[in-house]
Amino acid sequence: MASSSSFQQRPPPQTQTQTRDDSETDEEFITERTYYPAFMIPDLFTQLPPVRDALVTSTSRVQDETVDTCLPYLAGEDELFKYNLHGVPNLDREKHIRFLHASLGRLPGRFLAADASRPWFLYWALSALAIMGEDVSSYREAFVETARGMQNDTGGFGGGGKQTSHIATTYAIVLALALVGGEDAFEVIDRKSLWRWLCALKQPDGGFQVCLGGEEDIRGAYCTAVIIRLLNLPLDLTPASPAWAGDGSANLLSSVGDYVRRCQTFEGGISSQPNAEAHGAYAFCALGALSLLDDPRRTIPRYLDVPRLISWLSSRQYAPEAGFSGRTNKLVDGCYSHWVGGCFPLIEACLSPPGAPDQAAGHPASAGRVPPAPESLFSREGLIRYILCCCQDQSKRGGLRDKPGKMSDAYHSCYVLSGLSSAQHQWELAPSAAEDDSAAATVDPVWTVLPYLDDVQVFDQKDLVRPIHPVYAIPLQSQQAIQSYFLAKEGF
Amino acid sequence: MPPKSKAAPKPKGADSSKQPTLTPSTSNTTPAVPATVAARSQLRYDDSRPHDAARLKAGLTGLPRDEQAAWISARFARTPAARTRLPPKAQRELWRQVNEASLPVRALRGGTKGSSWGRDRNGLDVGGYSVERFDEREARRARLTCLEVASRGFRERRERERKGLRDPATGEAVFVSEGEVDAERVRRGEMADLRRELYGTVQGSFALDPEWDDVIPIPQDEPEAALAAIAYPADYDEAISYLRAVMLKKEYSQRCLRLTETIIEMNPAHYTVWLYRASNVFALKLPIADELEWLNQVAFANLKNYQIWHHRHLLVDNLYPALAEKPDELARFAAAERDFLTQILVQDTKNYHVWSYRSYLVGKLGVWGSPEELKSIEGLIDDDVRNNSAWSHRFFLVFSDPAHTTPGLVATEPDPAVPQDITSREVEYAKEKISLAPQNQSPWNYLKGVLVKGRQKLSSVEEFTGGFVKGLGNKDGSEDVQSTHALDLLAEIYAEKGDKEKADLCLRRLGEKWDRIRVGYWEWRRKCLEEA
Repeated sequence: MASSSSFQQRPPPQTQTQTRDDSETDEEFITERTYYPAFMIPDLFTQLPPVRDALVTSTSRVQDETVDTCLPYLAGEDELFKYNLHGVPNLDREKHIRFLHASLGRLPGRFLAADASRPWFLYWALSALAIMGEDVSSYREAFVETARGMQNDTGGFGGGGKQTSHIATTYAIVLALALVGGEDAFEVIDRKSLWRWLCALKQPDGGFQVCLGGEEDIRGAYCTAVIIRLLNLPLDLTPASPAWAGDGSANLLSSVGDYVRRCQTFEGGISSQPNAEAHGAYAFCALGALSLLDDPRRTIPRYLDVPRLISWLSSRQYAPEAGFSGRTNKLVDGCYSHWVGGCFPLIEACLSPPGAPDQAAGHPASAGRVPPAPESLFSREGLIRYILCCCQDQSKRGGLRDKPGKMSDAYHSCYVLSGLSSAQHQWELAPSAAEDDSAAATVDPVWTVLPYLDDVQVFDQKDLVRPIHPVYAIPLQSQQAIQSYFLAKEGF
Repeated sequence: MPPKSKAAPKPKGADSSKQPTLTPSTSNTTPAVPATVAARSQLRYDDSRPHDAARLKAGLTGLPRDEQAAWISARFARTPAARTRLPPKAQRELWRQVNEASLPVRALRGGTKGSSWGRDRNGLDVGGYSVERFDEREARRARLTCLEVASRGFRERRERERKGLRDPATGEAVFVSEGEVDAERVRRGEMADLRRELYGTVQGSFALDPEWDDVIPIPQDEPEAALAAIAYPADYDEAISYLRAVMLKKEYSQRCLRLTETIIEMNPAHYTVWLYRASNVFALKLPIADELEWLNQVAFANLKNYQIWHHRHLLVDNLYPALAEKPDELARFAAAERDFLTQILVQDTKNYHVWSYRSYLVGKLGVWGSPEELKSIEGLIDDDVRNNSAWSHRFFLVFSDPAHTTPGLVATEPDPAVPQDITSREVEYAKEKISLAPQNQSPWNYLKGVLVKGRQKLSSVEEFTGGFVKGLGNKDGSEDVQSTHALDLLAEIYAEKGDKEKADLCLRRLGEKWDRIRVGYWEWRRKCLEEA
């Protein structure tokens, strides 16, 4: 690795002169000293980048402000924090856990804007807790009751009681049910009506409306694919579906790949719908959807220009902030730790390892061999630094956030921690047994995980969080439990 | 029997100084003026039981003899069961004493302990009110009761009207006039004011509006244990309850339209209400232009909102068939939309939803080739050359225009139909903008996108790109890179030309020095180069 070894040399902390009585040993004081500001932080994270333009525009203005805001945190200068020897603070689990439990309690009226997205809030909080190793099964009973009230007879879940069913809120409910786990939770879902409703959302071009009469975008494709796979729903279409072909040639997941392909932009990233701007959140949806159609080693290169996608994904990480931005020339935001960071395990898996499916039939632009990455495609150290230094609210409030100066919330807590998890782990896809498409399409590829060890570990071992599935975004065990429950179930 | 008098007569010689809770007053002068209604009641109570308070304190034998006698007489006088058992002579003697001492023959029951006057809207004990204030409150309560009776009468008449019943007095069909409805609205307003003043209860505006009397609101029924339940503000809670009711019966009407507006004002993220609003607009065949006009105001007030743009999308879909037949109107509409979008984008230049809508609109109206559209985008790029949303839109305008592109190709694919002069124009445009700020990635991405689309060799911009990189690999400190994106593109140009060594040097220097955060990526690119 060609990493520069220039470090920012900080003076070792002065032995603090105690104003207290020196005669007795103060253990607390000693502990404090050993954690006092870091010695060695690569200057990559403490200095402005080597190439900068003089021209000032509104974009550069807010970018410069953001760097100014983040630098003290990255350089180990924030007074609220205790830093380890790498200049990285600990994950303040206790505070974050308290913040998330509180967010599942009764919310005051100022949360009104969340009235149509409560399932999201539930999933975010439960997922963040699960990533930090909390047992969320204690929420099962209450969650089952809550979810039941949001389900519609006509299939799917709305943002609240008596609200129109929406694919995003249904996705959130299904994932949250998987998180709390147990038969009681799984049986809340009326799978038959859910399947019918999904058929009604399916469009002839392969995409999905997010709700009846709603917009069609790539979230629809990803959320639907997750729901279908987790709940083992049939792929057949009902005759009432707009995508019904009559001859049985179309099913729920057919043409999804073509729809995703149409969302790749000239920059290489993915937009919400064809012809819009490349955006991190939709990149994850695209790769997630493709990974559920079939083996991602086949589907991703078949439908996307992989080199250009990787170029764009990699461009989302800027120094010195080192977190990800969501679009070209936009600001770093902790949530893209998941949306962009979560793309890398999927992309890395699809770069052809020995014995991988042949990519010759792939996307014209990525025809030929696309080698595996010799090391991580993005700076895991950088992302972990950004997350632990800049995204933690270290005040009494707790929780994780977009960037310093922003309020923590359940959304950022979930996706920042999810990004931390993917930066800390290495995912591998077991060599695929079946070359036969039809067999592969019904069996999920087997993902295995190990902690990522190929790099300097800047975080303390106790800050290692749980691995979460790179496609389903829930812990592996939760995904396996719900999937095997419905695989074993006969009929609806 | 003595005459019954409702008010207890004031006992002669009653010493009010023994009653410390009451306003002191000298005996045989003006009666005591109680400070509060509770005190007044206490006074009345005590007055109806002469010497009772003193007896309770000191015991009967602790009272002076005359007071003892008076207490006993009063006690017998007001207790017929005991009195009638006395011999007739003793009864006569009793009445004599009662008359002489003006003793009360009745006593108030219960006492004041433990009784409650209730609390007012501020949580204060009504018993602590002054008499005047209490009387005023009672007058309001009486007024409220009268209004309630009248209001009930109105509802009954309405119900009769609905059922087509006849008025028993006149024999004519019941008809509730507009004037009556207005009067009822005023009445309910007064009732709501009174209830708020008296009890602090706030009534929703829908319950007060006679127009909504026929709708039975469906309140939120969340289980007790529900997670992350939101404590709704009362007005939102009420409006949503009415929404559930009208949606259930699929009512489409002007009042429903107003209801959706009320809810959207409070919570514009409520997608269900937006879809229902659209259904109303279409079912009632309302002029789309009016709805767009309304929507413009909402859009300015809620720049980050998502639903507004889908609603607009639905409106345009609905309007389009009519426009398609009249090119003039279509052009006018496109211009009006462009003006509006320009104003919105001034507020929030990279708003994703606005840009997505804009690309939809261009496609729907088929105005890719509009010089105004291109000019408008150029204006935004002139304002901020780093506005990537504007660059993305430009790419769409130029390379999805069916006039000179192959339909069905995706953005990353080369297109043989794109004319050379268009590619050259776009290449020049990108180069010009790169020169303003070479480290700005937007025009570099654009440049590469254009070259691939237009099937141009990357090396056609080698000279230009190389201009931002000096002395690459020099170890004497003369290496100078003005743009990491130029270096990136140079690596691709060299690779295209088969010069792996030079390409590798570019990538290595990016990872070592010029763009270290992406070293993993640059190393992978070197690997690609090796294996190509």
